[in-house]
Amino acid sequence: MAAEPPEIVLRILDARRRYAQAGRQVAAKAALDGVSLQVSVGEIYALIGRNGAGKSTLAKAAIGALALQSGTVRVLGGDPAKDRAIAGAIGVAPQEIALYAHLTVAENLHAFATLAGVRSGRAEAVTAAMAATACTSRADTRIDQLSGGWRRRANLAAAIVHRPRFLVLDEPTEGLDTQTRMALRRLILDLKAEGTAILLISHDADDVRALADRVGVLEAGRLIAEGSPADLMAQAFGGRQDLVVRLNGPAGAAEKVLRKPGLTPSEDGLLWSGLALDAPALASQLDRALRKLGVAAAEISVRQPGLDALIAWACNEAASRDRTSQGAAA
Amino acid sequence: MIFVILRVMALGVWRDRAGLAMTFALPPLVFIVFASVFSAGASGKLDVKAGIVDQTASADSRRLSLALNHQLGGRLATYPNRAALRDALANGRVDAGLVIAGDLGRDPTPATVLIHPGRRAAGEVLTAQVKAVAEHALPDMMMEREIVRLGPLLGLSEEQLDRLSSRPGLAPAPPLVGQEVLSGGDPIVIYYAGAVSILFLLFTAMQGAMSLIDERRAGLRLRLGLSAGGVAPLLFGRMLWLTALGVAQALVLFIVAAILYRIPLVQSLAPWTLTAIAAAAASGGIALALAAACPTREQAQTLSTFVVLILAAIGGSMAPRFLMPAPLQALGWLTPHAWVIDAYQTLLWRRIIDAQVLAAWTALAAFASAGFVIALVLESRRRL
Repeated sequence: MAAEPPEIVLRILDARRRYAQAGRQVAAKAALDGVSLQVSVGEIYALIGRNGAGKSTLAKAAIGALALQSGTVRVLGGDPAKDRAIAGAIGVAPQEIALYAHLTVAENLHAFATLAGVRSGRAEAVTAAMAATACTSRADTRIDQLSGGWRRRANLAAAIVHRPRFLVLDEPTEGLDTQTRMALRRLILDLKAEGTAILLISHDADDVRALADRVGVLEAGRLIAEGSPADLMAQAFGGRQDLVVRLNGPAGAAEKVLRKPGLTPSEDGLLWSGLALDAPALASQLDRALRKLGVAAAEISVRQPGLDALIAWACNEAASRDRTSQGAAA
Repeated sequence: MIFVILRVMALGVWRDRAGLAMTFALPPLVFIVFASVFSAGASGKLDVKAGIVDQTASADSRRLSLALNHQLGGRLATYPNRAALRDALANGRVDAGLVIAGDLGRDPTPATVLIHPGRRAAGEVLTAQVKAVAEHALPDMMMEREIVRLGPLLGLSEEQLDRLSSRPGLAPAPPLVGQEVLSGGDPIVIYYAGAVSILFLLFTAMQGAMSLIDERRAGLRLRLGLSAGGVAPLLFGRMLWLTALGVAQALVLFIVAAILYRIPLVQSLAPWTLTAIAAAAASGGIALALAAACPTREQAQTLSTFVVLILAAIGGSMAPRFLMPAPLQALGWLTPHAWVIDAYQTLLWRRIIDAQVLAAWTALAAFASAGFVIALVLESRRRL
């Protein structure tokens, strides 16, 4: 293989992996079906997709923890499964808190710095990682005595204590309060600014919008869409926004008004939502119309479309492409 | 890197105080129970509960009853008749019974020991106790029995017999054979020190080795997989820790044995240490291989319980190997238990280092190496 351009940190080419399913008559399920992607120096690449789409499998393949049946994974030009020096340049913060619960934050970081091969300046590296993740005040607290937010910070600190050049973050802000979430986002952006290439797995639309340079949508082991968050959102929604109306009671006479712009109700009929162009203006119109009918809305809000909507759009697009190509082949 | 894993595992045990207590307190407790039971059996100090029916109510029978009750530590119950004693035997209220039906000084067989078919050993013990008590507590009565037996042979008249048998101060002839109990460890106690030690070594090693599975579950394995040295130092660190923990556990148990049962631990400390290291390493190797082979903790729990109990049963940790049929004894050599028990017995009882001890060390080292290599291969191939 030709040498990687210096700016490419992760390159995955045509990665394929199938898992045998229970029962011999059933075909093996494709966890990865020809995925190719690359992440450059100082880039944050967000992987999104439904549960079981192959995100975690791809992340494991990217750090050499999962053997591919075909395709290649190169990190900094080397094979992370075979080259220990390359593996040492990778940091990973799994979705679970991958720390020794009976050790303190500092003890964990010392242990992982040593295991990652940090020989000199280990104490400084630990101090720096704790400072970066604002964990210093909890240095001597055992992991099993920390709250969820502090554990997430420590989990991230352990991933960066050896200053990796490639970082895999799996749901790094899951379950955190807004303040902690914002702090971790700032930290991730700092790492990006230092040149760390980051593969981010997230279900959080705000995280993806705030952090990602590019987004890849995985579905059934295939990368079905890729681009910057803004581009993908524009392609998917064309400037439309999510309009949400929350009612205090049954819609009754207001149902016709709500359905007219294309809003659909939730199961209990209290939450109505839908995509709309110029959603703020439509929100004002709906507010007036509802008042006129004597229906009080608890909330009328305009939001950016969520990742679920983006994934659903990407899946529809992919299915449409598949149908077109099958038709052309026929 | 190896030291890091050693430290992580050591802190894990140190900070789990309940686990720590179980690791070091439970084995000596179980050992004391085993040793008390089997050592008492070997030394003849069985605590038999007995019943007595005294149909004669003579002075001699009352003296015998009192002396026997004293000898049995107050575990002699009196019953009014033979039927009541049989009933007590059948119901298990007593282990054996004594019926005094004739003149102890003059009748040929004035007393009978009733033995339950399921407690023959208790019957034998009571028979021996009655004889011993009669010899020591009723020497005049025993002499009277001799005079009555020898009188006809010597041509003594009734008057002479009465005069001789009633003479105070007469004692039976001194025993033909005396007893001298030699100093040194009790072999059955040493046996069970080794047996209980290897049983708990495997249990403890399995608990420690299961951290491999916990790490997979907690995502730690992903992070550890990126470590600079790869899988081998991570496993070797664990192996070292399990060995060190096992030696410490065995040491506590043998110190208790040395204090309570005077096992000559100090005199054989160097070869004992080698045996303890080999035994702990063998347990560590087996445990790591089992943990590496199991994808989940639940599987590992089930498999390890099965393996630990089967090995203990075959290897002699539950019942003495010399009581087993020959094929089972031969099968025992496939377990580390048999080698460990044999090595400790040879070192601490016979106090020699012979070919058998060297073979035991070799076998245990082979168990340790094989287990470690299997674990290494399985873990190296494992992809998450």
